[in-house]
Amino acid sequence: MEGLKYIGAAIAVMTGFGSGIGEGLICAKAIDGMARNPEMYSKLRTSMILGCALTETTGIYGLLIAILCLFVG
Amino acid sequence: MTQETIDNMLHFGWDMFPGEVIMSLIVMGIIIILSFVVYFKFRKLDPTKPDKGFVMVVETIVEKIENFTIDLMGKKWKDFSGYALALASYIILCFLVSLIGFPGPLTYLGNTFSIALCTFFLIHFTAARKNKWGYFKRYTDPIPVLLPVNLLSMWAPLLSLALRLFGNALAGYTLMTIVYYFLGLASQTIFGGIIAGGASSIILPPLVTPILHAYFDVFSGLIQTLIFVMLTMIFVSQEDPDEEELEESANKVLSKNV
Repeated sequence: MEGLKYIGAAIAVMTGFGSGIGEGLICAKAIDGMARNPEMYSKLRTSMILGCALTETTGIYGLLIAILCLFVG
Repeated sequence: MTQETIDNMLHFGWDMFPGEVIMSLIVMGIIIILSFVVYFKFRKLDPTKPDKGFVMVVETIVEKIENFTIDLMGKKWKDFSGYALALASYIILCFLVSLIGFPGPLTYLGNTFSIALCTFFLIHFTAARKNKWGYFKRYTDPIPVLLPVNLLSMWAPLLSLALRLFGNALAGYTLMTIVYYFLGLASQTIFGGIIAGGASSIILPPLVTPILHAYFDVFSGLIQTLIFVMLTMIFVSQEDPDEEELEESANKVLSKNV
C-alpha cells in the first residue's frame, strides 16, 4: 500500500496539463499581439510574464500536493 | 538550580522554532535596520545638492513604488505604497537569503500564511471602513440562501495568496535539493578515487546549480514579489475604489474612441 502515494503524487502533478495549455495560449496571443503591433513589445512582454506566473499557480498547487504526498504523508 | 534547568531556560523557544522562522525574524531585523539608516540619512540631507549613492537608489525605489501604486489604485491610495514597499522588500529578501545558503523563510507555510493574513485583514478592514454596517451585506449577496457559499469563498484570497508563494518557494527548494543530491552522488562516483572523503561530492554541484538558483531564487522571486504586491493592491482597492480616477480614465477611453 506504500506505493499508492507515488500514484497519488503522479495524479496530482497532472494539473500541469491544464496550466501548460493555459500558458501556451497566453504566449501565443502575446506573440500575435507583438507581431501585429511591434511598438507595444515591452508592455506585452511584461503582461505576458505576469499572466504566465498567474496561470502557473494552478500547476504549482498540483506540484505542492505531489510534494506533500511524497515527503510528508 | 541544576545545570539542566539553566540549559533549558537558555534554549527555551529557540529549539521550538524551525530555522525558517528564525531566518524570517533576521530578515525583518535587516529591513528595520535599513529603514532606520534611511531615516537618519534623509534627516541630514541637504536639499540644495543633487543626491547620489545610497540616497539616490532609495529615492528611485520609493518613487517607482509610489507611481506603481497610483497607477493601480488611484491617487487616493498614495499612502498605501509604504505597505507595498515593506511587503516587497520582505518577500524579495526572503527569496534572496537562500542564495547564501540559509533556509528560505518562504518554504515554511507559517510565514507565507502570516503575510497573506495581513493582506486579508487589510481587505476586510477596508471594506468595513467603507461600508460601515453594510459590510455584512456582502455575505447575503445576491440572495440570503448563498450565505454558506459566501462564507466559504471569503477565504479564497487568503489561501491563494499564501499557497502561491509557498508553492513557488517550496517547488524551487525541492527541485534544487534533488539536483544537489544527485550531482553530489555523481561527483562522488567520478572523483571518489582521486579525492578521499566527503570532499569529492562538492566538485560538480557548483558548476550546474547557479543557473537553477538564478531562476528559482532571483527570477521567480522577483515575479512572485510583483504578483503578491499587485494582487494585494488590486484586492484592497476594489473594496474602496477611487471613483474620480475611474471616471477620469473612463472619459479618456471614451474620448479616444470617439
